[in-house]
Amino acid sequence: MQSVEQGSKASSLLEEETPSWLSNKKELLWGQMPFFALIVLCLVASLMSDRFLSPININNILVQGAVMTVIAVGMTFVIIGGGFDLSVGSTAAMSGIVAAWVMLESNIVFGLIAGVGVGALIGFVNGLIITKLDVNPFIATLGTMVLVRGLTFVVTDGQPVMGEEGLPQLFLDFALNRFLGIPYLVWLPLIIVIIFTWLLHHTAYGIRVFATGGNTEAAFLSGINVSRIRTSTYVWCGTLAGLGGVMLASRLQSGQPTAGGFYELTAIAAVVLGGASLYGGEGKLYKSVIGVFIMIVLANALNLANVPSHWQQVAVGVVIVVAAAADRWRHR
Amino acid sequence: MTDKITPRPSIKPYAVAKHISKRFYATQALNDISVTFNTGEVHALIGENGAGKSTLIKIFGGIHQPDSGHLLIDGQITEITSPRSALDAGVIVIPQEMQVVQTQTVAENVLLGHVPTKSVLGFLRGIDKQSMRHRTRELLRRFYLDINPDTLVGKLSFAERQIIMIARALNHEARFLILDEPTAALETREVERLFEVIEQLKSMNVAVAFISHRLDEVKAISDICTIFRDGKKIEHKFGTVPSISEMTRLMTGRDLEEVPQGGIRLIGQPLFNFDHPFPEHANNHHVTISKGEILGLAGLLGGGMTEFLRSIFGAGPSAKKITLKGTKLILTSPADAIKNGIGLVPGERGQGLVMGLTVRENILLPNLDSFVHRGWLDKKAIDAFVDGLIEAIDIRPREPNKTVRELSGGNQQKVIFARWLAGNIRLMLLDEPTHGVDVGAKSHIHRIMNEFAAKGGGIVFASSELTEVLSVSDNVLAMRTGEIVGNLSRNEVYNEKVLRDALEG
Repeated sequence: MQSVEQGSKASSLLEEETPSWLSNKKELLWGQMPFFALIVLCLVASLMSDRFLSPININNILVQGAVMTVIAVGMTFVIIGGGFDLSVGSTAAMSGIVAAWVMLESNIVFGLIAGVGVGALIGFVNGLIITKLDVNPFIATLGTMVLVRGLTFVVTDGQPVMGEEGLPQLFLDFALNRFLGIPYLVWLPLIIVIIFTWLLHHTAYGIRVFATGGNTEAAFLSGINVSRIRTSTYVWCGTLAGLGGVMLASRLQSGQPTAGGFYELTAIAAVVLGGASLYGGEGKLYKSVIGVFIMIVLANALNLANVPSHWQQVAVGVVIVVAAAADRWRHR
Repeated sequence: MTDKITPRPSIKPYAVAKHISKRFYATQALNDISVTFNTGEVHALIGENGAGKSTLIKIFGGIHQPDSGHLLIDGQITEITSPRSALDAGVIVIPQEMQVVQTQTVAENVLLGHVPTKSVLGFLRGIDKQSMRHRTRELLRRFYLDINPDTLVGKLSFAERQIIMIARALNHEARFLILDEPTAALETREVERLFEVIEQLKSMNVAVAFISHRLDEVKAISDICTIFRDGKKIEHKFGTVPSISEMTRLMTGRDLEEVPQGGIRLIGQPLFNFDHPFPEHANNHHVTISKGEILGLAGLLGGGMTEFLRSIFGAGPSAKKITLKGTKLILTSPADAIKNGIGLVPGERGQGLVMGLTVRENILLPNLDSFVHRGWLDKKAIDAFVDGLIEAIDIRPREPNKTVRELSGGNQQKVIFARWLAGNIRLMLLDEPTHGVDVGAKSHIHRIMNEFAAKGGGIVFASSELTEVLSVSDNVLAMRTGEIVGNLSRNEVYNEKVLRDALEG
């Protein structure tokens, strides 16, 4: 009798221990995959073309990455919260238009507030459609994507918004001038990334976003107001898409109804390349930024290598599919 | 019986497990198990949760591969590597959660994968609806089920769906049918009908494995009984089934008398009372839970206990009025309930835990607000809080940074308990909290419950394992389809027979 009891105790002790090194090692390796991929990509690009590391090209990459980084930060919130947002490109265009128009009518500050505010509003509407009307995020934001894009053409008649004498010089200077040798346009995303890293990874709110995306039911039963959390992620996403749109308007020196085309796809691809799970509840903000630069550097390198633009698209598509498949494989 | 001669089943080995061992990480789920399943025989597999029964049937079902040992099917060494190859070997598992396609008809479900066809216009193959109906009716009649083959399966009762699954298995020419806790959600007369079906299977020379927690049923239906404990085979009596008390002793390694009979607690002032949360019963049933009380909620699987608990917790379809220590409250969400000192451990662990988050974060979820300091999380206070809880209820390994996914079932359950143990939770609602955890974790969970109640907390404990409800509760409510149909108290007659009678009206 005694030996039997000891046996059962020993085996229940055994059951409690799961070897941590196995899963940790795998996680460690896979977790840094996007980072290694970016380094390898940069190495290959610099070997292929000596123009890659030239200051002009690096400046190019940073400026191109700036707007997309801001948008991808918002997208990371939505995706970690278990959602999806296709409307960011249209939102960026609309925000640029509204910012330019208000700027011409009154002043820069109101212009900026209006531009970003429109983004927040679109995000809020997305959130309400998804949580209150219980519409699938993919379909809901597909709808607002098309709707908002249509509106940009309606309000502008398809023409860029830049006034008779162009947008205020101070606003254009933001895209042209530098601080410590780095364009203002690049400093802004850096600040955004720092603030939102804090929000996502170091606050109670951030944990609630992860919990809601990881298991909505469990989050709900833990007393989390999941509708509010989900809506909030769309508001952040819209707000940042709006900010990205305003930055874009500064670069383009006008509000353009065609701006931000395919931005939603690039942003989603970047977030997934950064290892966030499309099933929600997993991801790291800085890795989404790495994902953005994988996309940008890849396009840049293919450009330098004189790959025709249509083949560039094919290459980017392959990279996205491979990355997504690798992600599924990792979760086996 | 006399006018129809049941052919004498010929008994010979069909499915044989030889020296099967299986490890999951550090858990030895099966340890050198050999079992033989004969045609025309009902073979009961019993043991406590986590004893290894389900691992064995998953090996037969092609879900797991054994680390060592092999399977013989009809005398041949056979590798069953997938559910498909199990099917090819004539092995079919009918799980507790049944996989019927609810929006299809009875005929489509029964004949799934074997739909009869006929030629259309001379060159196309089309579905032969007429012979589908005919074949379905014929198959179901053998199991005493006379229903229209065109009925949607979604409209059938649980017991009827079960028979449809069995008929489907027979249509697949199953030779070895594994029934995993088939009676857990059935009422007595449905169990009787199922037993008739099983007898019919026997006479058709099918080998049947029958898994159940209800030992009286095991005694009634099976020819042979194999008992599992901690991954080892304890007993295999050829041609005999041991007595119920003997089975219990062999399963648990204890005598029946040693089963814990609840803690010694003082039951104090009423803590909490409410009307039945379902509007249709609200006027007839008033429930009171006192300080220090463990109130059992017993019923069959799917008997409405889950909905009952969720409703009290504010997670039901409409807001609930409750009285907490004389104060009237209206709970509209779990957040409200938690604020007022109520916590829920949901029936499926998947509903309680965010598997990709760490132990620390999962424990913190409902407690986050108390650790926010000017927008930042107070990491030091959090670590002290979480480490204390992990230590107190013995979550292993003691690593708050591990994701919950990596923990064993019992430890996952402890994580859900841990989140309610600190803070101001005074009432815990537990929905089948020991389902699917091993014996050690089970008694540990009972201990946690006892300690919580001894400190003046109240507990509602819902379970379909009637013996367990009776052994841990002070009072028991019997529940059938959401209605309270009986009330047992330790001061009065208090045993499984009374409870079962109450449940079955």
